[in-house]
Amino acid sequence: MEHLNHIPVIVATLLVLLAPFCAFLLAASLGERNKSGLLATIAILISLCAAIFVFSQVWQGETIHRSIRWFCIGANEFRVGLILNNLSAVMLLLVSAIALPVHIYSMLYMKGDPGIHRYWMYLSLFCFAMLGLVVADGLLLMYMGWELVGFASYLLIGFWFTKDTAIKANKKAFLINRIGDLGFLIGLALIYTQFQTFDLIALFGEQGLVKHAEPTPHLTYAGIAFFLGAMAKSAQFPLHIWLPDAMEGPTAVSSLIHAATMVAAGVFMLVRISPLFDAQVLLWIAAVGAFTAFMAATIALTQQDIKKVLAFSTISQLGFMMAAIGIGQYGVAIFHLVTHAFFKCLLFLAAGAVIHEMSHVKEKYQLDFDPQHMGYMGGLRKYMPWTFRLTIVAALALAGLPLTAGYLSKDAILIYAFEWSEWQQGIWKIVPLSLLISSGLTAFYIARLVFKVFYGKLRLNRQFRRSFHLHEAPKGMLYPMAFLAMGSLFLLYSFNPLVFEDSWLLKGFEKTASLQRMNIYHTVVPAAVNGVGIVVIFIAWRWYARRKYPLRRLKGWLYQFSEAQWYANRLYEMGVVKPLLGFSRSLYAFDRMVIDGMVDAGGALVRSLSQAGRWLDTYVVDALVNGLGYLAFWLGGQLRGPRKGRVQYYMLSMFVVLLMVLLLGLKLV
Amino acid sequence: MITLTHLLVVSALLFTIGLYAVLVKKNAILILVGIEFMINAAILNLVAFGRYDGAGYGGQIFALFAIVLAAAAVAVALAIILNVYKHYNSIDPDDINDLKD
Repeated sequence: MEHLNHIPVIVATLLVLLAPFCAFLLAASLGERNKSGLLATIAILISLCAAIFVFSQVWQGETIHRSIRWFCIGANEFRVGLILNNLSAVMLLLVSAIALPVHIYSMLYMKGDPGIHRYWMYLSLFCFAMLGLVVADGLLLMYMGWELVGFASYLLIGFWFTKDTAIKANKKAFLINRIGDLGFLIGLALIYTQFQTFDLIALFGEQGLVKHAEPTPHLTYAGIAFFLGAMAKSAQFPLHIWLPDAMEGPTAVSSLIHAATMVAAGVFMLVRISPLFDAQVLLWIAAVGAFTAFMAATIALTQQDIKKVLAFSTISQLGFMMAAIGIGQYGVAIFHLVTHAFFKCLLFLAAGAVIHEMSHVKEKYQLDFDPQHMGYMGGLRKYMPWTFRLTIVAALALAGLPLTAGYLSKDAILIYAFEWSEWQQGIWKIVPLSLLISSGLTAFYIARLVFKVFYGKLRLNRQFRRSFHLHEAPKGMLYPMAFLAMGSLFLLYSFNPLVFEDSWLLKGFEKTASLQRMNIYHTVVPAAVNGVGIVVIFIAWRWYARRKYPLRRLKGWLYQFSEAQWYANRLYEMGVVKPLLGFSRSLYAFDRMVIDGMVDAGGALVRSLSQAGRWLDTYVVDALVNGLGYLAFWLGGQLRGPRKGRVQYYMLSMFVVLLMVLLLGLKLV
Repeated sequence: MITLTHLLVVSALLFTIGLYAVLVKKNAILILVGIEFMINAAILNLVAFGRYDGAGYGGQIFALFAIVLAAAAVAVALAIILNVYKHYNSIDPDDINDLKD
């Protein structure tokens, strides 16, 4: 009877999943009639309510795992089911809680778009895929959700499919994610060959197979393969290049991708299968994460497109999460994932509101400028005070200043990183330092964004020599943002705004690596982060708000290196795309020249052979037969001669022949 | 003593004369006469070999049948010749050459 207790939770979880899925199916069948988005929004609201219920039941309770038989191949049984534990409960809640404001915001933001019915359909599919990925109990099911998330994001990034750049961007995202999917698949196969099961509990649970398995190179390879998957999904160097391009999608979608659905999948997956990683793989994860955090932060410093800044900021923050996984602090990684989801989603929605207004001006006055370029903005706090205030909250959270959620989670990562580095040798001590520097850079670029967009004077006025008036975003867009802003503050996570260890969310996850608590870091690191943060924000304020920019003539190679995004795209172009294209072209030429040539030559040979055969048939075989026929015909004509039609002559011939036959017959006898 | 051989020789002569008439005569009536000659040669053979039929008179009976048939054939043939004459205005077989292609 024990398992009956969980039935309401299971049903609620299914409801969380099925609501967006049904919305997707309904939207698909309704087609163009489904313009309002009410359907998708109500579905996600149902999901959120059910997710809150599930969370309240599951959090800090026992792990619920229910599965049914799916199919059999030979003696191998495959099961499909749900896992509900702290991790999936938090993720369920997070995904639906982020998706709901995005849906509400989209209702206004996407209003009047000719393809809006597709938008709602894809959005529901996207949410369903992510929710399914989160509660899947097996690697195979998780892989399906993983692929579906990738596919839905492909559809959404290329939502404005008439734009050439959007098509290129979604193709790029899809291709790069394929590399990651391949990693996931290889990992899947390796795990299955080792343990003959996909079940996450059986594999990675307390009494799991992985924990008691002999350490073999296969497990290391599987760990690396899974990490490759997460690198593509969570945009880690060198597979990060799809994320900035994914900005071609609608801004509301970007906010969802960057906050809770797409990029979170990689981090989530690594946490889910965390017992798999041995020290070597973890070191790699930490290194890649720290490097990505630093690299993306430096790129974000110089980008001019408001969405590009935020995109690289996401990459950087994902690097922080990866680093947290690398140092064995999975709970902290999820904590940062959650807080980041709130403030990054908020930043994107605010940016969307600003872009919305800018393009409104662009359309109204028939001007030609890029509405996402920060060079045309400025002074917007006078026109959009609430957007400004909400952006400030999110920006402070991103910079990691006290009283915000970002402070708690980011400091947690940094402190653990420093504690971890105590046990590491040589070069690995760079990891926490890199994270610390990235953290300072983060404060700078987000301050730059805020000052450039909201302070000073509207540069659009100077550009076009007239006075424009912008409006505040509508309330339907502000309320979702306000909701997210609440999630960006400390109160949701801990009553103590300064010590992250009091956060209930962290308490929900076991500490995987037992590090010695070093009190010195717990005071020095937050102090350093905040000191550096405040200093760089002040510098940014002087540079961008007070317009005392010192680098006007000093745009050296470092600046260009950063602005060109470390030449990653060009490197890919030169190192991968061009050689690949060249290789394909040479293969094509080989195919054309050699293979086709051989086939063509064979064809020509057969053709000429058959022509010779035909000639032989016509002029030799047929000629012989025809010649015989003609001969008989001619002979008959000759023999018949002038006695044509004379009956007596016929009779004579018959008699002669008969006589001859008789004589011959006699002879023979 | 008249032997079977004498009879057969006579029969062969009769047949040959009939055949000659059929092949060369330019008058259909005479061709018919030739045919009769050949039939009679055959009848003569029947009678001649009938001698060896100790039990009954099979050869002679057969000969009688053949004579009757020949008479009937002559009647039909004469009717055909009459019709041919009506059609072609001639009974020369060389004139009747419509069978040629």
